[in-house]
Amino acid sequence: MKLNLRIWRQKDAAAEGAIETFELDGVSPDMSFLEMLDILNEKLVGEGTDPVAFDHDCREGVCGSCGAVVNGQVHGPDTETTLCQLHMRRFRDGDTVQIEPWRSRAFPVIRDLVVDRTAFDRIQQAGGYVSVDTGSAPDANILPVPKPDAERAFDYAECIGCGGCVAACPNGAAMLFTAAKVAHLATLPQGKVERDARVLAMVTQMDEEGFGACTNHYECTAACPKGVPIDAIATMNREYLRATFLSKEGV
Amino acid sequence: MLRWIDRFANSSIGRKALMAVTGLLLIGFLLAHVAGNLTLYADQDGSAFNAYVESISALPILPLAEAGLALLFLVHIYLAVRTTLENRKARPVAYQATGTHGQKTLASTGMFVSGVVILGFLIKHLLDFRLRKAEFDEAPHESIVEAFQHMPTVAIYVVGCTALGFHLFHAIQSAAQTLGFNHPKYTPAILWFGRIFGIVLALLFASFPLVYMVKNGGTH
Repeated sequence: MKLNLRIWRQKDAAAEGAIETFELDGVSPDMSFLEMLDILNEKLVGEGTDPVAFDHDCREGVCGSCGAVVNGQVHGPDTETTLCQLHMRRFRDGDTVQIEPWRSRAFPVIRDLVVDRTAFDRIQQAGGYVSVDTGSAPDANILPVPKPDAERAFDYAECIGCGGCVAACPNGAAMLFTAAKVAHLATLPQGKVERDARVLAMVTQMDEEGFGACTNHYECTAACPKGVPIDAIATMNREYLRATFLSKEGV
Repeated sequence: MLRWIDRFANSSIGRKALMAVTGLLLIGFLLAHVAGNLTLYADQDGSAFNAYVESISALPILPLAEAGLALLFLVHIYLAVRTTLENRKARPVAYQATGTHGQKTLASTGMFVSGVVILGFLIKHLLDFRLRKAEFDEAPHESIVEAFQHMPTVAIYVVGCTALGFHLFHAIQSAAQTLGFNHPKYTPAILWFGRIFGIVLALLFASFPLVYMVKNGGTH
């Protein structure tokens, strides 16, 4: 099939970007979205022009590297699907496909569709971990975890940090990402020790990065390729209120 | 010593929590307000309403309650404006294509707009009644009859109440989520209760100017 592509081109963070239009013929419905971009780039390189820069790694929907806004929809029209798992059979011959990078003050565009997501790394480093002393491995069953808690924690832990929640949020908020980390660790016994310091530090870092604030549109969870549930954010809010009013952290 | 309060009040989650709490308290005020207004329907000559106004005016705590109410409004509005401005700044370059995964609603995206309309209506409402308190207290029911004979006034009140309905449609479940209440057992109930509550409250408030306009044949 033949597509009319409208892609955001931007040389670097300082440059002005603009939408550029390409016609691409010979797209197979069995291709993934990224394979379609590969074909486009082969053509562009053949013509002696710069290929379209985009992030990608595993192409199996688990690494969190890829992502773009396709016709205004984060990761394209499918639910719980990363851009690499989106297939061209979702489009029709002759379609116009507009591709834009994640838009957020905290995610500056590096080039074309590639954005700088190190803000997520800094939020994670602020407290998204469990301190474990080294030594012999503890007995596997020494910490009982109720089955529903284990499943809930796993739902939160599925977050791959792609940044789609920020891109989909009308406010450019990073609440679902931060909440997935906070709720994941607050649900499990190993994470409870540092829960108060963690949520205070991660939320402070999140605010410092320049993300917006949640106003409960719930677009993030709908766009999330891993379907991280929205109650993660309620859990983070609860953790934050708890840490502020009930704990001795951050006096 | 009070660093933790400063941190809370200036954090994204703290500000949202304060907005939720002030909003819920304002809903408490609206419930008291609509209950008082319902005395308008208790009889034909408005004596029940007059008696209600008299008993409220006689409360020694009234000035304090009014000051508290004004503070709730100011905090809620200040936080809404600040959050809205900061959220706009969080996405300096807008998307050219508009799309969605289908969760946001007109009510959720229009919270700021509906809030501004409610504020405009509130100013008109205060000018009509509260700032003419001496006049109003002398003949409360007649003031109502008089005010709702003017079509423009009725129109502004209906628009204000519609905006209130939109605002509350999103507000109640949003406040619950912000304050950390989300559970598969009761979240669907909060969602639907909040929506129905918002619509019913807005309809009740809008009914007063409309009923009085129809009853007294206001045309000018």
